[in-house]
Amino acid sequence: MFEMTTYLLRRLLQSILTLLVISMILFGLISSVPGGIMSAYQENPDFTPEDLARLEAKYGLNDPVPVRYLKWLGNSLQGDFGNSFTSKRPALLEIADRLPNTLLLMGVMLIITLLIAIPLGILSALKQYTWFDHLTTTIAFAGQSLPVFWFGLLLIITFAVTLKGADGRPLLPGSGMQTLGQPFSLVDRIEHLILPVSMLAFVSAAGYMRYLRSSMLDVIHEDFIRTARAKGLREHLVIYRHALRNALIPLITLIGLDLPSLFGGALFTETIFAWPGIGRLYFTAALKTDYPVVMAVLIIYSALIILSNLLVDMVYAALDPRIRLS
Amino acid sequence: MRSIKFVFFALLSLALLLSACGPAVTEVPAQPEQPQPQEPAPTAVPAEPTVDPNAPVLGGTVIVGTPQEPGTLSPLLSSATIDDVINAFIVEGLVTMDGDGNYAPVLAEALPTASEDGLTVTYKLKKDIKFSNGDPFTCADVQFTYEAIVSDLSGASTSGYSDIENIECPDDYTAVVTFAEVYAPFMRLFAFIVPKAAGDLAKLDTWEYNRAPIGTGPWMVKEWVAGDYIALQPNPYYREAGKPYLESVIVKILPSRETGVQLLGTGEITVLWDLTEADIPTIETLDGVGWSGALYGYGENELLVFNFGTTDGSAPADPATAPHFALNDLRVRQAIQYGIDKQLIVDTLLNGNVKVGTTVLPAGQWGCPQPASEYSVDKAKALLEEAGWVVGADGIREKDGVKLSLKISTTTGNQLREQTEQVLVEMMKEIGIDLVIDNVPSDVLFASWDSDGMRKKGRFDILLYTTGGGIDPDSHLFGNYHSARIPSADNEGAGNNYSRYINADVDALIDDAAFNPDQEARREAYCKVAEQINKDLPRVFLYERMVISGYREQLQNFRVSPGYADMTLDSQNWWLKP
Repeated sequence: MFEMTTYLLRRLLQSILTLLVISMILFGLISSVPGGIMSAYQENPDFTPEDLARLEAKYGLNDPVPVRYLKWLGNSLQGDFGNSFTSKRPALLEIADRLPNTLLLMGVMLIITLLIAIPLGILSALKQYTWFDHLTTTIAFAGQSLPVFWFGLLLIITFAVTLKGADGRPLLPGSGMQTLGQPFSLVDRIEHLILPVSMLAFVSAAGYMRYLRSSMLDVIHEDFIRTARAKGLREHLVIYRHALRNALIPLITLIGLDLPSLFGGALFTETIFAWPGIGRLYFTAALKTDYPVVMAVLIIYSALIILSNLLVDMVYAALDPRIRLS
Repeated sequence: MRSIKFVFFALLSLALLLSACGPAVTEVPAQPEQPQPQEPAPTAVPAEPTVDPNAPVLGGTVIVGTPQEPGTLSPLLSSATIDDVINAFIVEGLVTMDGDGNYAPVLAEALPTASEDGLTVTYKLKKDIKFSNGDPFTCADVQFTYEAIVSDLSGASTSGYSDIENIECPDDYTAVVTFAEVYAPFMRLFAFIVPKAAGDLAKLDTWEYNRAPIGTGPWMVKEWVAGDYIALQPNPYYREAGKPYLESVIVKILPSRETGVQLLGTGEITVLWDLTEADIPTIETLDGVGWSGALYGYGENELLVFNFGTTDGSAPADPATAPHFALNDLRVRQAIQYGIDKQLIVDTLLNGNVKVGTTVLPAGQWGCPQPASEYSVDKAKALLEEAGWVVGADGIREKDGVKLSLKISTTTGNQLREQTEQVLVEMMKEIGIDLVIDNVPSDVLFASWDSDGMRKKGRFDILLYTTGGGIDPDSHLFGNYHSARIPSADNEGAGNNYSRYINADVDALIDDAAFNPDQEARREAYCKVAEQINKDLPRVFLYERMVISGYREQLQNFRVSPGYADMTLDSQNWWLKP
């Protein structure tokens, strides 16, 4: 137990240091991006030099970058990530507004992904080198290689423009998360989820499937599987009780490492499908050099990644006694 | 083929799976409940035909698509065009610019009048106007608007307002504005009114007003779902009885203009804001979709900016001290203009939908029409010869061993501009100039002096972009053509005179006009400036830009204004034809 506590403490300390370095690098990068809110004002000849000076001071852009960083760090440590340059609202509020939407999209996506990837992964491992295995592996490979923005536009053109339903309207909505001007309905929400989730799940199921397949293949060639078979255990018990359990352990790592994306959302998907989530918020904020929002999203995301890494290590140790924490 | 079928099958089964487990998951996040009032869908309008088919149908929802989300709806904080376009549904001012580019009173009875010395401007205000919260509109709101604009947290331009000494209210419906010094473009002031009820000026950044302005216009905000949409409902106190006709207007935030065009075609949106001339052919192929465009009332030109100074980034305050190797010579600039067939660009790239660019002040109140430039390859060649640029072995002109090779830069990713550049390259080849396309991302092109912006520091030969006059020419002409506005170390990079153009007469005319209360005299002065600019050619005006929106033709009374209102013009009169 003592060993565990020191390990945890050390990892947490490392995490904080890592975050600090990340925040410094990010801040430096963002501050060196040309453009930003002031260039919009400078472009407008109606803004007098006094106006520009006042606005620069208002947005805290008149200090040198290191000073700005220290101020930002001080405020962030107290939970204040500053106000968005464009909306003037706290960056955290902007994020909180979109968090439910992103959680919905990514949550549904993860469940669908696992529902597809796990059975397909197992099957293609068991039927290694059959036509089924070749087909799924090929499709998975295609899924991993597809550029998402292209695939997304293809889905929109196919299902939201070209194909029409019985009423002459497009088969599926191509943007947003509800039909505007109508009361909320669950069916409507699901319809809006279909295209973005399909796209995300296709791409991410491909990765999971290939991973599970190889992990499953590793396991079924292990000695203990041969032993299980040798002692006359029925095949499905061998597969599901012995092989699958062991093969799923590496998958947990993968899921754990993917958890932060439940927060971060999917930048391209949300942007293409006009899904009002954090990915899209980040994208538009980055375009406008709205650095309080950009920094807040990135820092929270980084913290979640570090945290989930830690979590995965802990779970891993619990699941597999062979692994030592050191 | 087989794998394509499989993809289809996989997607289909995916969709099935999704609908099977959707409900359980959708319960997780708390979605804001949106009780929408019963709204008669366009198809559900009374079955029996009304007597007059042109009588407005009441009710219905118009969905306006925009590729950007407004940051704020407060005119005090707006930093993007979309902010002001959407707040125009809600916010009105004392004076606006009408559909033809002329000043028109809105909340003022008539256009304001200035005293003989130009120091006092008097507004007579309309009576019986109420804000959407029920408060009456009075002179006190004019005072408050002024105080808000010049307050510490304001994000609005204070030019003109900073010259105001005080505003007096002899009665509720008269506002007397006294200036400390003459501010000739006073007509542009008070284009928006912020009511006293907006809040405490010390907390201007966090007002509720910023996301739900209190205005006198036909609409008010009902709900704003960040990143998704802004729903507007009728202002119950709107001055025109029975209007707006529509039940609601919803501003939907779209991922891109391209998606918007698709959605306009399927009818998912009714209006698509901010198209470009290049989108018109696509729009015209869509069933039941039209477009409305207006030349900017104050003239907005797609133009070329010539750099008179060196391109090494030293940003000389006077280009004579470090001139550009070719463009500092008037004859070269004239030759380039002679070599450009502007009409061809308009006809082929813009389908003849816009006018050829002729002057910095083409239309509206301050319009000063100038003859179109002549297209003459012969004259262009002769001028270049005269300037000492002779054709070399490869067909490119050269002088003292230096090739006449110039870079043209604009922002990457703008198809129309890229096509324009390609046409220009061909035209310049014709007269022996080697034009090289060198485009950069907009952030790089438009970057500030401090971040070493290429435009501010003069690291270019020729730029291609759009800019225009503003409701009063003063700030545009001063900012773009006055020698005091050449970005240099002396003025810490202030100003937009990127050509580094210096003409003492132009400086004097602009300076005098800024302090002359006689508007007719000002018009003449600006006209002289426009003429001189065409002689000196710091810029070449290619074509006049339009403000364009696409819309479903079912929507009645939709018209784009060249002024502040943009596509929101007369939105109280919009209705949907069943």
